[in-house]
Amino acid sequence: MDILTFSHVAKRFGEKQVLKDVSFAIPEHTVFGFVGQNGAGKTTAMKLILGLLSLDSGQIKVNGELVHYGKTPTNRFVGYLPDVPEFYSYMTPVEYLHFCGEIAGMPKKEISARSEELLCLVGLEKEKGRIKGFSRGMKQRLGIAQALFGRPRLLICDEPASALDPSGRRELLDILAAAGNQATVLFSTHILSDVEHICDQVSFLHQGRIVLQGSVEEVRKGKKAAGIELETERPEDARLLLSEFPFLKPLDGNSLLLEEAKRQWEIMRFAADKEIALLRFQQREMALEDLFLEVVEK
Amino acid sequence: MKAFLKKEWMEWSRTGRMFLLLIIFILLGIMNPALAKLTPWLMEALSDSLADTGLQTTAVTVDAMTSWAQFYKNIPMGLLVFVLLCSGSFTGEYQQGTLVPVVAKGLSRRKILAAKSLFLLGAWTTLYLICFGITYGYNAYFWDNAIAKNLLFAGACNWLFGIWVLALLIFFSAAAKNSPQVMLGTGSVVMGACLLHMFPRFSSVLPVKLMEGLTLLQGAEEPEDFYAAMASAVAMAVLCITAASLSFDKKRL
Repeated sequence: MDILTFSHVAKRFGEKQVLKDVSFAIPEHTVFGFVGQNGAGKTTAMKLILGLLSLDSGQIKVNGELVHYGKTPTNRFVGYLPDVPEFYSYMTPVEYLHFCGEIAGMPKKEISARSEELLCLVGLEKEKGRIKGFSRGMKQRLGIAQALFGRPRLLICDEPASALDPSGRRELLDILAAAGNQATVLFSTHILSDVEHICDQVSFLHQGRIVLQGSVEEVRKGKKAAGIELETERPEDARLLLSEFPFLKPLDGNSLLLEEAKRQWEIMRFAADKEIALLRFQQREMALEDLFLEVVEK
Repeated sequence: MKAFLKKEWMEWSRTGRMFLLLIIFILLGIMNPALAKLTPWLMEALSDSLADTGLQTTAVTVDAMTSWAQFYKNIPMGLLVFVLLCSGSFTGEYQQGTLVPVVAKGLSRRKILAAKSLFLLGAWTTLYLICFGITYGYNAYFWDNAIAKNLLFAGACNWLFGIWVLALLIFFSAAAKNSPQVMLGTGSVVMGACLLHMFPRFSSVLPVKLMEGLTLLQGAEEPEDFYAAMASAVAMAVLCITAASLSFDKKRL
């Protein structure tokens, strides 16, 4: 069953059309990466799911229930980490988590156990002070703890790794991947290596539209091979190759790009005849990043 | 909702708002009889210098009524401080975005509004009772409260005026974006009502009338004269809260 469905969702802020006819569905127990440049509409899409913004057209369903702006019983299925999380500064992390548990109507015993467990998970178990003195990274950690608190079926994280140090980012990705076993995780990012690390499914959002979507493997395979990069030792050899095979594309230094893989044999033969010293003759791997750039530049 | 009330309690006690208001209302409560008690002494001390300027002082008699007169003069000040300190109760949360995780947890907006409103009204009631109680106690000790007619009714009227102002505060808090807007909105409605109150046509129906408790104590007016103002205060308060909940449902957090 799909935990989240968007059908023909559109949203504009004044003149700016932020989302245009966005449709997709996320099945249960997937880690779903939402990729896009700054301002692509990721945060808007997330706020729409939470009923924090009103839809212009289309509909959103969480666990089969329609989301309404302002009245949001659907949020009981959801855990949310905002892009810049803010909490009551006069509370300690433990008190804040207790507050979260009480809102959700959890029994006292469970609240205490869960608080302790989650604070350990995010590495805040030794923080006894009030949230007032927290850095942004620490707030982000607490944000993850509160988002996971009610064991949500759908975990929504808006750029969760943005304020974290490298080790914290690694830990966070592990936490999200682990959360994917029990819940569906939807997270936005513009760091593509994070997506490659933990996502099952990915969706590229560009100028308010979904331009590419599918499993990470599918998305990669669906695109033609990225070509072959070759590098010669001497610059004059590179020039010679370029004049002989004008379909090659010069890259920086003595590197050339061959897009039609079929013609690699001709080039190899030519290089052997002319005794051109090749430093590199390499299949170029299509990283998500290239894909993304290609999609964005279209 | 209980959880949110608890959170409000924590906010009030830990940010020092509660302490400050408590001190102010206790001081106001003590000041009323104290000023009354000190008046004759002050007049006496000043009589010589006043005589030099040509002013004649006569012996003044003070009683519970003097102290109650002070009470009705001072309590609007207490209400003003209360409104100033609480004008950010909602808007502060909008600006910091602290309500976002709470709403995202599935707590309904109506419950948030109800908890905040209940807390504000409860705090005003408690502080008012403290102030009233202290003045009442001192007055009973120094003089005799029996000379004041309709004492409790007049007190209740004044309290209801506070409730009306707070209902306005809640409405503007649900509609406005920041606390200056809330203060401006609440202030201008109260000021407008005060201005209208000066016209005899409106003088008995506007909630502003509820502040004139002293005339009740002195027997110049009877409780019946206040019924219209009470009804309008209650009606407007209910209207404000209803409008607040509708507006809060659609509020961008």
